[in-house]
Amino acid sequence: MKYQVVIAGFGGQGVVFLVKVLAICAGNRDIAFLGTENHGMSQRGGAVSCDIKIGDFTNPVIDKNQADVIIGLDSNESLRNIAFLKTGGTMVVNAKADYPSLPFAVARVDANAKALQGAFPIQGLNVYMLGVALASVKDFPFSIEEVKNAIMQMNPKVAQQNIKILQMAMNDCK
Amino acid sequence: MKQTLMGNDAIAWGLIHANVDMVSGYPGTPSSEILSGVQKIKKMLSLPVYAEWGANEKVGFEVAYAGAIAGKRACATMKQVGLNVASDALMSAAYIGNLGSMLLVSADDPGFYSSQTEQDSRVFAKFARIPVLDPSTPQDAYDFTKLGVELSEKFKIPVMLRPVMRVCHAREIIEMDDTTEFKPNEGKFVRDVPRWGAVPRDGRFAQGLDQLERVEVIAKYNWDHFLKPQFDGCKGGELLIITSGTGYGFTQETLKDLGLEADVVKIIMPYPLPVKEIQACFDAYDKVLIVEEPYPCIEEQIAHPKVYGKNTDTVHKIDEMKKEEILKAFQKIGFYKGENIYEAPKIDLGFSVPARPPALCPGCPHRDVYYAIMKVFKRKKSIYPSDIGCYTLGIAQGAIDSLLCMGASVAMASGYSIADPSKDVVATIGDGTFFHSGIPPLLNAIYQGHRFVLVILDNSTIAMTGRQVTPSRVHQPIDIKKIVEGMGVECMEHHYSHHMHENVDFFKKVKEKYDQSTSGPTVVVVREFCILDAERASDFVPNIYVKVDEDLCVACDQCTTVYKCPPMSYNDKGKIEIDPFLCAGCAGCLEIVCPTDAFVVDENYLKKGK
Ligand SMILES: Cc1ncc(C[n+]2csc(CCOP(=O)(O)OP(=O)(O)O)c2C)c(N)n1
Ligand code: SF4
Ligand code: SF4
Repeated sequence: MKYQVVIAGFGGQGVVFLVKVLAICAGNRDIAFLGTENHGMSQRGGAVSCDIKIGDFTNPVIDKNQADVIIGLDSNESLRNIAFLKTGGTMVVNAKADYPSLPFAVARVDANAKALQGAFPIQGLNVYMLGVALASVKDFPFSIEEVKNAIMQMNPKVAQQNIKILQMAMNDCK
Repeated sequence: MKQTLMGNDAIAWGLIHANVDMVSGYPGTPSSEILSGVQKIKKMLSLPVYAEWGANEKVGFEVAYAGAIAGKRACATMKQVGLNVASDALMSAAYIGNLGSMLLVSADDPGFYSSQTEQDSRVFAKFARIPVLDPSTPQDAYDFTKLGVELSEKFKIPVMLRPVMRVCHAREIIEMDDTTEFKPNEGKFVRDVPRWGAVPRDGRFAQGLDQLERVEVIAKYNWDHFLKPQFDGCKGGELLIITSGTGYGFTQETLKDLGLEADVVKIIMPYPLPVKEIQACFDAYDKVLIVEEPYPCIEEQIAHPKVYGKNTDTVHKIDEMKKEEILKAFQKIGFYKGENIYEAPKIDLGFSVPARPPALCPGCPHRDVYYAIMKVFKRKKSIYPSDIGCYTLGIAQGAIDSLLCMGASVAMASGYSIADPSKDVVATIGDGTFFHSGIPPLLNAIYQGHRFVLVILDNSTIAMTGRQVTPSRVHQPIDIKKIVEGMGVECMEHHYSHHMHENVDFFKKVKEKYDQSTSGPTVVVVREFCILDAERASDFVPNIYVKVDEDLCVACDQCTTVYKCPPMSYNDKGKIEIDPFLCAGCAGCLEIVCPTDAFVVDENYLKKGK
């Protein structure tokens, strides 16, 4: 298997949490995993993106025109990373309705609006968007069960809340 | 046992599994998580390990190195520019050597992600004539850590491990020892004055001869153990690719992506190289391409008419490795004639994505202090030297005129005050940086009578590199104010306030004192906190969230160009809006920042689920 995911957002959105979840998913199935983080000097609020390569790879960086999926936790950050998405790839993005039309499959939800309405605390945005990816990317390499297990393995104490958010995203995308 | 680990954690485990029980160093991206990783393992398994930050890299290195002289297995960790600070100690240690083991981990940062330079620590190892290992992946980082410790004890000389950021901060499922049977060496200093106290000229000359011989022996070891087995498996042909570190992984993937085949040799130890043996293998090839980063360290050692690399303009010379760069190198030497598969199709969005320049966190006190300084010491009449840390990001506020390296702000303030006495020189330095290398230049300024203002921004943490503790917080807390007073000058003290006028009023007093002074620095310490500091921040943050009264906002740009808190941006109506997800509730913008007082308390703020 060879699957490449870019997760884009800004500092404080929990991008790295998603990397850890996907790494555990890969580990549980005994598939190789390489990942890396790109961020500047800001601690909070600066652009952050993570490259995740699942399967037979030897370096952790995703080159342009290679990613199967981008998960954009922020609209602008998703667009900043657009060059990495390969032809035929999918953009999963948290954005308002004015998101530009792209020559890719786009799964767009306004997760900020949902959080503002109180559907889930904003700290759960990362997990919510992972749920959207699970629901809308057909060839996503892991199942919802595998992701739930990984979230449990990471920290059983707070897992229930995250699993609820994940399920909510899946239902919202039906 | 399989484990998903970040490279730096893999190094930490490697150290423990190699029975290293003295680890010292100084934080610096991308190296910091190595020492903190050892601290975590120590705590988790209750191991008898010394794992503490030094006051700076030189101190960190020397603490560990003395351990290695006394027979311990020791390690010093730092980032590549930190090695500049530790280099004086390293250069001599490379003559003297050690009885136990001395692993120096110097993490490089090709691409300048969080460093002032792109320098290559492998070249430094060559300069010091010590062996260096160059891991490609977190798995290598774990294995080479153990290898480096063994080699250091075998050859009785410091060994460098040089991971780059894409190793330190890469995550991988790695295979490591199942159990931790921690058996550190017993520390026992053996008096050997001619060795540990070698004096110029005769003592060091003799050690210099030993050093030259040792380099030959290690180069031979490099050939026998790491290189010959690989060359024996090579087929010969059009192209030989010699790589090291991340270059190996990028090369393998590029070959696969392009459907090409070539012999690839991975250099585990880029210095010292068995040059003649390697060059003898070139006969079987038309061309030899060297893929390494960031400097041509291997290339310069094995230069040969068949060798292509950075010095022949075949491979890029600056910035980190990319498969696209290797593809282009293949094109230049005629090895690949197809298209650039790493080129992204052009997409016209109809607008350009707004930049997200590096900025201080929402609610960071540094921002308010800079704002207050600039209200009092006006830009036109001032020079603002600053230093390295989170507060460097004050450059976005126009509050910084020059940056050099850690600690330089103080001595540069001296220099500016001599060169351009018509200006008020106001220098800023963080507490971490002050402890690291700000004290000698302040001492210098005091005894030379240099007249400037020094503002020490004391948030009691080394925030930029992940909030390591400063000497003001552990063991025997050391107070900056007392250090300054101990040098014989007054230290004005201010506690940061979210009422901006209090900060401004304080700096007015600072200006008065400075105006009245005729000689010597006016030194100020501002007690702050870091908003991400879980232990302290909650004692300081008022949790007063802010919104904009749109009737009052006149879109004057003051807040977005001078104060610059990230949650502030224009909305569709051309009014400033505060992103409720980003606002930290610091209340800093309620006073003075807005000339029409459009920032008001948001009573209905949706409380963050804490
Ligand atoms: C010689 C050297 N060592 C380490 C670093 C990495 N580094 C960058 S900023 C910094 C210290 C920042 O601490 P402080 O001065 O307290 O400022 P803060 O980030 O807390 O605002 C360090 C260690 C460096 N740039 N140079
Ligand atoms: S990490 Fe702390 S010191 Fe650094 S910008 Fe954020 S609040 Fe300021
Ligand atoms: S209160 Fe004002 S200054 Fe503080 S974080 Fe919120 S927007 Fe920024």
